[in-house]
Amino acid sequence: MRHNLEKVKTFAMQAVLAVVGAVIIFFASTATARALLQMGAPAPEFSLKDLDGKDVNPAQFSANKGVVVLFWATWSSNSPKALRKFEAFYRKYKERGIQVIGINADNQAISSGDLEKVKKLAQELDITFPLLLDKGLKTFHDFSIIALPSTIVISEGKISYELAGLPLVGTEDMFDFLLALAGDPPRKKPEPEYMPRHDAIADAGLARGFVKKKRYGTAYPLFRKAIEKDPRFILAYVELARLCETEGKNAEAEDVLKKALLAAPENVVAQSELGYLMTKAGRLKDAIDLLDKAAKVDSYPPSHYYLAYAFGVSGQLKEALNAFDQAVSLNPYEPEIYLLRAEVYEKNNMLKESSADYRKALELILKIKG
Amino acid sequence: MKTGERRYIRSQSSPGAAFALLVLILNFFLLTSFDAYAEQDVRGKAESLLKDATALFEEGSTDKAIGLAGEAVKADPGYSESYDRLGYMLLKAGKNDEAINAFEAALKINPQHRTSKTGKGLALLQKGDATGAEVVLKDALLLNPYPSMTHYALGLVYEKMNNYEQAVLQFKEGIRTFKSGKR
Repeated sequence: MRHNLEKVKTFAMQAVLAVVGAVIIFFASTATARALLQMGAPAPEFSLKDLDGKDVNPAQFSANKGVVVLFWATWSSNSPKALRKFEAFYRKYKERGIQVIGINADNQAISSGDLEKVKKLAQELDITFPLLLDKGLKTFHDFSIIALPSTIVISEGKISYELAGLPLVGTEDMFDFLLALAGDPPRKKPEPEYMPRHDAIADAGLARGFVKKKRYGTAYPLFRKAIEKDPRFILAYVELARLCETEGKNAEAEDVLKKALLAAPENVVAQSELGYLMTKAGRLKDAIDLLDKAAKVDSYPPSHYYLAYAFGVSGQLKEALNAFDQAVSLNPYEPEIYLLRAEVYEKNNMLKESSADYRKALELILKIKG
Repeated sequence: MKTGERRYIRSQSSPGAAFALLVLILNFFLLTSFDAYAEQDVRGKAESLLKDATALFEEGSTDKAIGLAGEAVKADPGYSESYDRLGYMLLKAGKNDEAINAFEAALKINPQHRTSKTGKGLALLQKGDATGAEVVLKDALLLNPYPSMTHYALGLVYEKMNNYEQAVLQFKEGIRTFKSGKR
């Protein structure tokens, strides 16, 4: 009894200490929507400290052909593999104009323990490129990162390549892209690269600004204009669909995503977002088929937790929880994962687990750190 | 006295009276300006100390932060924000009773202080008084137009009480109010 009381008291103490250190930073709710669809967009600026406390920013390497930004964490199982691959690449290509930067995303607040882990791993892997610390995960959010590891390539100040996770095929394609950037012949013939039209990117950017200011009426026509200018610009469709969803116009959102899939049938982002809307509309079989297809490509992590949610709603709790675990291992900072899992727990009357997940989601949304 | 005489007297005494009045107004103006400047100076000093204290707190130097926040309180005892921040710093240091005193001092100056009530609730929760915390936090919700954090705190209280149904409701409400812009 006394032991239980102590446990309860310790929990309360930890929870309170967490909230005491709370820092509320507002961030765009469309971060996930932008992920993997940012090619051609200006790269967010950042300046972070390396392990020796020196400031590093990508502008220092503006003379380079490209800057590879690798987001990683010591707890992510694929991060050491990614660090090793990029170290080998960096040693070979740094003189050929390719700079690699690693940004650690171990925690929202980096403790001395985290720092020790980062230094230890860097030493073990003999990393020679700069490793930076992302205090508060601001840069992580600015780049709309949805999985760890994740890679962004910046050339001429713009995002020229992005890859979430370390999928087999996707990683090979990315290194092919980097070889071509460095001036080497790629291992296989690259597919003609699609880059959205600049004026479409500008219109979508403006629309996004209006969404942030909640001036939705002004945002709609700008997204539509972006789509009209470049019908293959999927980001504009996805963000427009998100806006419709925000305003409760789910049927309209579905139509927008269906049009996106007509323009790019294999686009996993549009597939996943449509699958999620279909789940919410109760069309579970079709949703699971579509989400399963998207999740198998393994390049868009939300497909995993949308699929998990669809499983959960359809009563397949075990499958749902496995898929949620996979999503958490890719990106534990995504509140949406915990929100959807909480909803699944709640539907199954598992209120203790549901409460813990809603709490975690709210902590991430309010940026509560210990 | 006839009306004409009265008019004469008034006009006779008018330059001296006007001068006296002018001096009075000038004095009043100078004094109130001086008071306002002094007040501004005091508030500015407190704000500056508080800014430094907050930076130290965010760096993890809680004890030093508490010292500086205490100086901010001394510099301007009428500034509720200093007591409020000091309360949160004391809370982090585990000095629950002192934290409650600081939050109560902030609420005495400004009964509508939206974070002080939440802070008091958290201090009570940390002391193990979940029932007391529930009452204070419910009251804080009435005061607070930006209630996400208060819903979060109330959710913690219900989790501690093993009332998961209520905890779920509070956390969900925190998320809903954040998303609707009532942060």
